[in-house]
Amino acid sequence: MTTLDGLRQGTDVGSFPASSGGAAAPATSGLPDSGASALVAREVSAWFGSHKVLERISLGMEQKKVTALIGPSGCGKSTFLRILNRMHELIPGAALSGSVHLDDVDIYDPAQQITATRLKIGMVFQRPNPFPSMTIAQNVLSGLRLSGTKVANPDALVQECLEKAGMWNETRNRLNHAGAALSGGQQQRLCIARALAVRPKVLLMDEPCSALDPISTGVIEETIKELREEVTIVIVTHNMQQAQRVSDSCALFLVDGEGMPGHIVEWGQTEQVFQDPHDPRTADYVHGRFG
Amino acid sequence: MSIVVGQAPNLGPDVAGGHGSTHPDRPSRHRKMPQGMATEAVGSAVASFALVWLVLTLTAAGASAVGFGVFWVMGFLLTYGLLTWRLHGVLLMKERLATVFVWGSSLVALVPLVAIIVYVIVHGFAAVFSGFPHFFFADMSQFSSARSPVTQAGMVAAIVGTVEQVGLATIFSVPIAVLTATYLNESTGTFARVLGTVVDSMTGTPSIIAGLFVYLLWVQPHGTSGKSGLAAAMALTVLMLPFVTRSAQEVLLVVPGSLREAALALGAPQWRVVLRVVLPTARTGMVTAVILGIARVVGETAPLLLATSASSHTNWNPFRGIQSDLPLQIYSLVTQPGVNATKVAWGGAFVLVLVVLTLFTLARIVGSSRPGQRRLPWRRSKAVAA
Ligand SMILES: Nc1ncnc2c1ncn2[C@@H]1O[C@H](COP(=O)(O)OP(=O)(O)OP(=O)(O)O)[C@@H](O)[C@H]1O
Ligand SMILES: [Mg+2]
Repeated sequence: MTTLDGLRQGTDVGSFPASSGGAAAPATSGLPDSGASALVAREVSAWFGSHKVLERISLGMEQKKVTALIGPSGCGKSTFLRILNRMHELIPGAALSGSVHLDDVDIYDPAQQITATRLKIGMVFQRPNPFPSMTIAQNVLSGLRLSGTKVANPDALVQECLEKAGMWNETRNRLNHAGAALSGGQQQRLCIARALAVRPKVLLMDEPCSALDPISTGVIEETIKELREEVTIVIVTHNMQQAQRVSDSCALFLVDGEGMPGHIVEWGQTEQVFQDPHDPRTADYVHGRFG
Repeated sequence: MSIVVGQAPNLGPDVAGGHGSTHPDRPSRHRKMPQGMATEAVGSAVASFALVWLVLTLTAAGASAVGFGVFWVMGFLLTYGLLTWRLHGVLLMKERLATVFVWGSSLVALVPLVAIIVYVIVHGFAAVFSGFPHFFFADMSQFSSARSPVTQAGMVAAIVGTVEQVGLATIFSVPIAVLTATYLNESTGTFARVLGTVVDSMTGTPSIIAGLFVYLLWVQPHGTSGKSGLAAAMALTVLMLPFVTRSAQEVLLVVPGSLREAALALGAPQWRVVLRVVLPTARTGMVTAVILGIARVVGETAPLLLATSASSHTNWNPFRGIQSDLPLQIYSLVTQPGVNATKVAWGGAFVLVLVVLTLFTLARIVGSSRPGQRRLPWRRSKAVAA
């Protein structure tokens, strides 16, 4: 990651919305018993080869809150999300600058283990991707097995995670069946259960409902609302109603033109972004007038 | 014209219980061939046969069977084209003629294959079954080609040799092949690219080169005790290694990148991703690749000629002394004088073809089952029933 380090030199930490904007943003007091963590991105820019796709994104994602990322297609929401748990660097030619802090620890610090970081910051992808070679129960436990973590009572953990993902009743009698034999919505909830089993501090969700019907979407939204108690959630969505329903704060990404990098136009409490936006482009976007 | 649109989703053989039943509650299979197509095709074939026969007889022009066949096919295409054109219009005529061409070509491709199998069965049948289990349980020590009847021949020495040599070659090559394929698939470095090219060119190695390689490196240095089942296994390994590597690589390529990403996002180190997600997902394909690799080398003769030789006595120890095997035994029998030797050679060929066919069938069965299911039909889990 020489490109990474090279690019990251000389970034000055400017003001960013977490500390500047937003009414009544509660201070992120590090409660010792809390599993959730605050995630703060500072001046993040990203490139694919020489193509810059993100321009100095600064965003605070408060602990135990749901932050929604909205914006038109191709403005870099997925890229930003993948930067938050170090998945971006898997793509050949990808580079970035800036820093991401999980509870005041820079996750891009060379001293930080990538695998440990990803263990703390889980991810649910747009398309459900349960492991086809594993059963439902094995899928739930896969994160632990894959990271070499021992668990005292796997059965209880499977039940707990499936309950949290709102699908225990559907799957309790078929835990030893193939995970790929579920419906799309069930598969996605299985992926959520799988991500929860490693007890992450942050859960990143990239359009988790875009392949699902309204009922499955509703179930997942309920799940998100309940999970807020224990994990910080960042969710990308194209659905304005969904952003309003599930999120506490909201950030709008836009690009200014063809080939230009995406940047944050507005950030704030969801209520404010939707009802009383500062930027006229926000009003246009959330009311479907462009994008 | 009725073009059948599937009324029910094609649920596959597991779910569609009935044999094409028309019960409204049960899914019926897609009907592949539009109604009338078969009748029209058969009618055209018969008509053109009659026409060609008539013309050839009337004009008294002699034609060989091949010539007759060519005329018949041309006549059929003409008749069938005209018929469908008159009945269904130009568009459907093109469609049907294309279908006929595709089917016809695959039939032509199938002819030599089927011919070989039938030929081997017909010629080998007598030797294999005349004294039935004898052929599989006796060796060749009772058989001397000039005088002996076919019933005194036995292939057990050769069968033992083939099984042990191919088995050893599999044990040698499969782990290396799977690891190499994994490396080629996971790494994007320069070395991986060079290695990929080397593997590709090795798949084209003439098999005699593999034999020479082992001969010079192993057989010759060991002098008179050099030829053995082990040497044969090494020669087969040289052939099998690039082949299995290549097919394993193809199999790994099919594992979706999204699974890899999902595993990495869970905090897995790369080696665990490979071990616990990529390889298990590709397991079915891997087994198929290995079986095809075995089938590929089981009939190899040239490399074995330099590594071991045919013998009439059974040698169970592949590490010591000459060990016979099926291809060499067949080769040796064919070069011996006497009709019976040739007959026994056909019997050996029969056994060899049987082995290869079994392996291919196994590969098909394993390869066609979907991941998550049990891989073999007789070990199917209750997942379908629930
Ligand atoms: N692997 C890649 N290689 C090169 N460019 C990429 C790659 N992935 C994304 N991009 C580019 O980066 C930009 C941002 O893509 P990204 O996927 O982050 O958009 P998005 O906001 O998530 O869009 P969508 O809402 O459609 O998912 C796009 O211009 C895209 O073309
Ligand atoms: Mg996206």
